[in-house]
Amino acid sequence: MTKFLRSIPLAAMLASSTAFGALAAEVDTIAVLTPEQGSDFGWNQQGVDAARAAAEATGVEIIVAEGLGYGDVRAPLRELAAEGADLMIAHASGYNTAAPEIAEETGVAVAIVDTPTAIKKGLIADYTLSGHEGAYLAGVLAAKMSRTGTVGIVVSGEPPSWNSQSAGFAQGVKAENADVDVLYAVIGPAAYSDAAGGNRVTTSVIAAGADIIFGQGNGSSFGMIQAVETNKATDGGDVLFIDVIGDKSSLDKGHLLTSVVWDMTPVYTAMIEDLRADTFGTKSYAISLADGSVSLLETPQVDADAWAAVMEMKDRIVAGDITVDAIFDAEEVRALVTVTE
Amino acid sequence: MENLLTDAFLSSLLTGAIIAGIPLLLAGLGEQMSEKAGVLNIGIEGMMLFGAYLGFLVAFTFSSVWLGFLGGIAGGMMVAALMALFCVRLGLNQIVIGIGLTLGAEGLTALLHHFQFSRTYPRLPAPVRADLPLLTDIPILGPSLFGRHPVVYIALALVVIMALLYRRTNLGLTLRAAGEKPAALDVAGGRVMMIRTAAVLFTGAMAGLGGAFMANIAAGIFIPYMTGGAGFIGIVLAMLARGRPFWVLTGALIFGGALSLTTALQVAGSNIPTDVIQMLPFAAVMLVLVLYGRKARLPAALGLPYERGAR
Repeated sequence: MTKFLRSIPLAAMLASSTAFGALAAEVDTIAVLTPEQGSDFGWNQQGVDAARAAAEATGVEIIVAEGLGYGDVRAPLRELAAEGADLMIAHASGYNTAAPEIAEETGVAVAIVDTPTAIKKGLIADYTLSGHEGAYLAGVLAAKMSRTGTVGIVVSGEPPSWNSQSAGFAQGVKAENADVDVLYAVIGPAAYSDAAGGNRVTTSVIAAGADIIFGQGNGSSFGMIQAVETNKATDGGDVLFIDVIGDKSSLDKGHLLTSVVWDMTPVYTAMIEDLRADTFGTKSYAISLADGSVSLLETPQVDADAWAAVMEMKDRIVAGDITVDAIFDAEEVRALVTVTE
Repeated sequence: MENLLTDAFLSSLLTGAIIAGIPLLLAGLGEQMSEKAGVLNIGIEGMMLFGAYLGFLVAFTFSSVWLGFLGGIAGGMMVAALMALFCVRLGLNQIVIGIGLTLGAEGLTALLHHFQFSRTYPRLPAPVRADLPLLTDIPILGPSLFGRHPVVYIALALVVIMALLYRRTNLGLTLRAAGEKPAALDVAGGRVMMIRTAAVLFTGAMAGLGGAFMANIAAGIFIPYMTGGAGFIGIVLAMLARGRPFWVLTGALIFGGALSLTTALQVAGSNIPTDVIQMLPFAAVMLVLVLYGRKARLPAALGLPYERGAR
């Protein structure tokens, strides 16, 4: 009996520590995995930079695994789990099969993109982000500044995040001027680093009349930019480029009109806090104009009056006067672009 | 649709087909020679990628696209030299080494790019065109076919040269012997190792030139992983061509043309789903494979290392 009574405090301590552990997981290290180096002025760089900023804000260590390519990442995921990562951010849509498998295998939480249906409490979170509100504003700006009355969307794939921005851009163009044609072309099934393809397709879109290109492409964006810089529009004037996610103004040769810039720091910070609060994998994460995680870049190529009108529209979106729907389906994107019968 | 069918748009599509097809043509011609000599050169993707990197580095550093092409050839041959060492000289597994070289080239070029170019992403100026007098004035076809960079014409000339080499010269016969019956060639006094080594190095040169064309002409910039499987498509073209350079050219143009068709259909706002449109280039190659591939005959000793006296 005495022995039993003595064991009660010990059991209570064990039970409380277990329960506490379940409610508030200790997070002291996170890892981010990217397919290309975090220096692409786009998706990969924003992912790495945001993960570093979130780690600093939440006081955790970070392991950066960049340039892993678009193939199988099971081995690096296992290595990172073994190195003590408490959260692995698999920052590529191509990783959304391997990462959940490794999460189940190792018990280490993962964050994936473009797969909202895969979330699992405490283990798998999804961050299918969308800068559609910013893309809408970019569309408005493009419609205001197009000389030829034709603008183009060139993408290196059709992941949900890009579909929503393509749709937002097309909606913005049509809202500003329904007569402006929106041409749409995908370089390839997953042509994220196909710079030659980016150049080839963008050149054709320009030849078809577009004088402003809204490009989404990771590495292939640089091929699009090269096409914009080396071709003239059908009216003989310069072609302008609208970028997404990153800020390429330091590389610009006078053709960058704007960029829909993302800041994923609030998303990653929320993930770490959710992991600590045992609410990881229970909700979706978003970026928006309202909290500044989506913004539009101002460049010297932007017409001042057009910019002022766009900023006014931004305020109306933030205030809720204008609602921009996030459209993630590729079929619905195509329904928004110009169909020439 | 009529609004889109301007000379400029149609010309850009035709140009796009040619520019997309030339790297595949060069890779396919290179692979064809390697396979004729009995070496299955799976590392050609790595050779293209390293050629693209070194070709761009040289072109950018010396402001010369021509020097860039030489750099691309050198880059491809460097990777090919490793293939020759491991697979021809040491007799290691050609598929394993080829995949290893491709992965190594991907990692190395991404790393080098990160340290050299990732803060500046330099781009080359628009490529110089070699306009052929009178011919370039032909509507649509003229600027696309007869106003291209000279390397396009060199690549086309290589098709003829290779065809003559294989059909009309002793060297062509020797290459075939190295791939069909290396032991017989050895007995007849031929130098199997040297022939196979030279064939692999030539493959590297062609793949490197194709990679440099991709970086310096087609893209105007080097991006990690930018070859995106073009080398593997070159292997498929070489196998389908059954040793005939003109078939490699046909396959490369079909693939390039199908790529341009995908753009045309999308820009025209076709209601065909993008996924279906994007399948076109691959479906076209598969169709050719189904129609003609059954007759494909590969060299008897393809993929087998040669060791004198081995049974």
